[in-house]
Amino acid sequence: MTQLDFITVLPIAFLTFWVCALLLADLFIKRKGLTAVLAAVGLAITLGLTLMQVGRSALGFNGMLVLDGFSIFVQTLLLLSGLLGIALAYGYIRRMKIERGEYYGLLLFSIIGMMLMAQAADLIMVFLALETLSIPLYVLAAFARPNPDSEESGLKYFLLGAFAGGFVLYGIALIYGATGSTQLAQIISVVNLSGGFEGIYNPTLMLIGAALVLVGLGFKVAAVPFHMWTPDVYQGAPTAVTAFMAAGAKIAGFAALLRVFALAFPTLSADLSPVLWVISALTMFGGNLIAISQTNIKRMLAYSSIAHAGYILMAFVPFGDPKVLPVSVAAGLFYLVAYTLTNFGTWGVVIALEKAEGKGLEISDYAGLGRKYPALAAAMTVFMLSLTGMPPTLGLVGKFYLFRAVLEGGYVWLAVIGVITSLISAYYYLRVVVTMYMHEGEAQTEREFWLGLTTLGAAVLTVLISLTPQWLFILAKDAVLMLF
Amino acid sequence: MMAGTLPISYYLGLSALLFTLGVLGVLIRRNALVIFMSVELMLNAGNLAFVAFARMYDMLNGQIFVFFVMAVAAAEVAVGLALIVAIFKTKRSIDVDQMNSLKG
Amino acid sequence: MDASQIIFGLTALLIIFSALRVVTTRNMVHAALWLIVTLLGVTVLYALLQANFLAVVQVVVYVGAIAILFIFAIMLTRREMRDGGPQLNKGWPLAALISLAVFGGLLALLYNAPVSERLAASLEGQDTLGALGQALVSPDAYVLPFEVASVLLLAALIGAVYVALNKKQESDK
Repeated sequence: MTQLDFITVLPIAFLTFWVCALLLADLFIKRKGLTAVLAAVGLAITLGLTLMQVGRSALGFNGMLVLDGFSIFVQTLLLLSGLLGIALAYGYIRRMKIERGEYYGLLLFSIIGMMLMAQAADLIMVFLALETLSIPLYVLAAFARPNPDSEESGLKYFLLGAFAGGFVLYGIALIYGATGSTQLAQIISVVNLSGGFEGIYNPTLMLIGAALVLVGLGFKVAAVPFHMWTPDVYQGAPTAVTAFMAAGAKIAGFAALLRVFALAFPTLSADLSPVLWVISALTMFGGNLIAISQTNIKRMLAYSSIAHAGYILMAFVPFGDPKVLPVSVAAGLFYLVAYTLTNFGTWGVVIALEKAEGKGLEISDYAGLGRKYPALAAAMTVFMLSLTGMPPTLGLVGKFYLFRAVLEGGYVWLAVIGVITSLISAYYYLRVVVTMYMHEGEAQTEREFWLGLTTLGAAVLTVLISLTPQWLFILAKDAVLMLF
Repeated sequence: MMAGTLPISYYLGLSALLFTLGVLGVLIRRNALVIFMSVELMLNAGNLAFVAFARMYDMLNGQIFVFFVMAVAAAEVAVGLALIVAIFKTKRSIDVDQMNSLKG
Repeated sequence: MDASQIIFGLTALLIIFSALRVVTTRNMVHAALWLIVTLLGVTVLYALLQANFLAVVQVVVYVGAIAILFIFAIMLTRREMRDGGPQLNKGWPLAALISLAVFGGLLALLYNAPVSERLAASLEGQDTLGALGQALVSPDAYVLPFEVASVLLLAALIGAVYVALNKKQESDK
């Protein structure tokens, strides 16, 4: 093992060490709040280690792991999501009487998987990282056992995830068959030689393989038509888990999808871009249309999160075009940041209103919030505007960059669909705002320091960053994929 | 060994069929355990394809991948069956279509 | 036709038949037993493909651990072994059609893209087991996935214990 190998894996290795120590320490910790703090400290140190790597780019472990601007950007976002996830869970799991140290251990294991996913440069690492991030999430979704909703959520997420894993595996097998390797670097060189290296490259097999990987990861990021059980999973899981799942699993899934597709499959773009186009359009329409008829806020936000997967997928459509790719990758990353921030804020508000046994989750429970808790209602309004894509929020800027990237790629109709579906989504997002301010009601909220800080902080950032979004976009643009 | 007398495509056809049967099982059955068994069929189909390709290229990397898939499968089974048994204790059923306390 | 072709043909038939039974049978224990037959069939194919080590691991891990766990789970979740209720969900005709389309697509594509028919040089004479072992712990090869797999197993272990833990014992503490 060389020093370079060590550097590429350092943050992940540290976090792994920290989880193991945390799990041991947890045995002796009586107040589980301390476990949460320790977990957060671990994430913060890992974040520091990750940020120390800014500017480096390297391949580690003989092409297993890659370190580049893209991975650092995505990992920073993931670690921040982890911190926000802990902040939301801190009071919530105590209130729901499911406070146990394993919660934080499993959360960190999942983050390890997600970070590996962002750095994976070998399909074997993609597969293992996918499972490492998923398996703790299955358990976290069922964490409120023996609550039947939570258990059902865990089981459905598990079956869906295992099914998706089967597709990814078969896809990787076919890609291996087409090229003789699972390493992205070698796959690329075989494809580029195209018949040179003993003439083994087989484009048809490669295409089926890539399509199957797309199906499998489509399940993971909840794209239509692979979204079957996602709403059930999001609704049944403890809300703090849903918030983390909606952001973390999406970021990691998209990061892997982006790296694999942009690096290894650009030659297949003629066949796959139309497929991605259709999936993206279907996801935007499906998610937004079904969300309209929902009365449960968790379920509505689940469909909203499906719809947002559709918007992010827009950034993938021009993946084979080297001229547009940097812009669309940057737009996708920017949108992920915007989505993550808004997502955690929104779920924070949901957590603030949630009562034990699934009470306080109907949209009608938000009536009167505007009068009684003006700050919280204002924050929720900001998030709803951001999810719709209206000024003055980050959501608008994110959509602007996305649509611009798609237009540059020449996909005018996709941008049009994006605009139309955003207009549709305004209906159900604004309904929440109307309920909060116009309807009479006795909304009840819980006061928790970390929860309030996360929610209000997210709201302030959503507005502030949208006023000067340039620096973030430039950061996203600098987060380039390393080319082999 | 005599294995060399068979073209790899035979193995691939078989693995495609096995994969399809697994997908079919996941999509049509309602019992969570059978759905999970069908997923195992899918994983085995993938593994079979890997081993066949590894033989075709005369390389070990395909076999190593299968080794890892087996480790992952074992981990998945542990968690999955624990979840199935837990939900049976609360609901007395593992029929996923009857699981509609979450409306869907 | 030589021996390996006969073995392959028989095993293939066995695998297809038993996999079909896994998917269709009403009796849960039978489904698990047919799954074992399928897994053993795959083991035979591994041996034919000269993946001897994997054949052994397949028997130990899949048949020995995974299938047995399935049987345990069946025993824990069924008081009567036969499942009386409807076995198919509402959307099954569509699902069957999709599966058929998937198979048709896969087969057509595989047929149109015949993979190399060349016969691989035999691995015999090489120390495959040693090479596998070396590869798994070499930093230039697979030591990282190996470590990740162990982290994965640890996470799964903790998760499974948490899910299986009895609430009553928990509150006793």
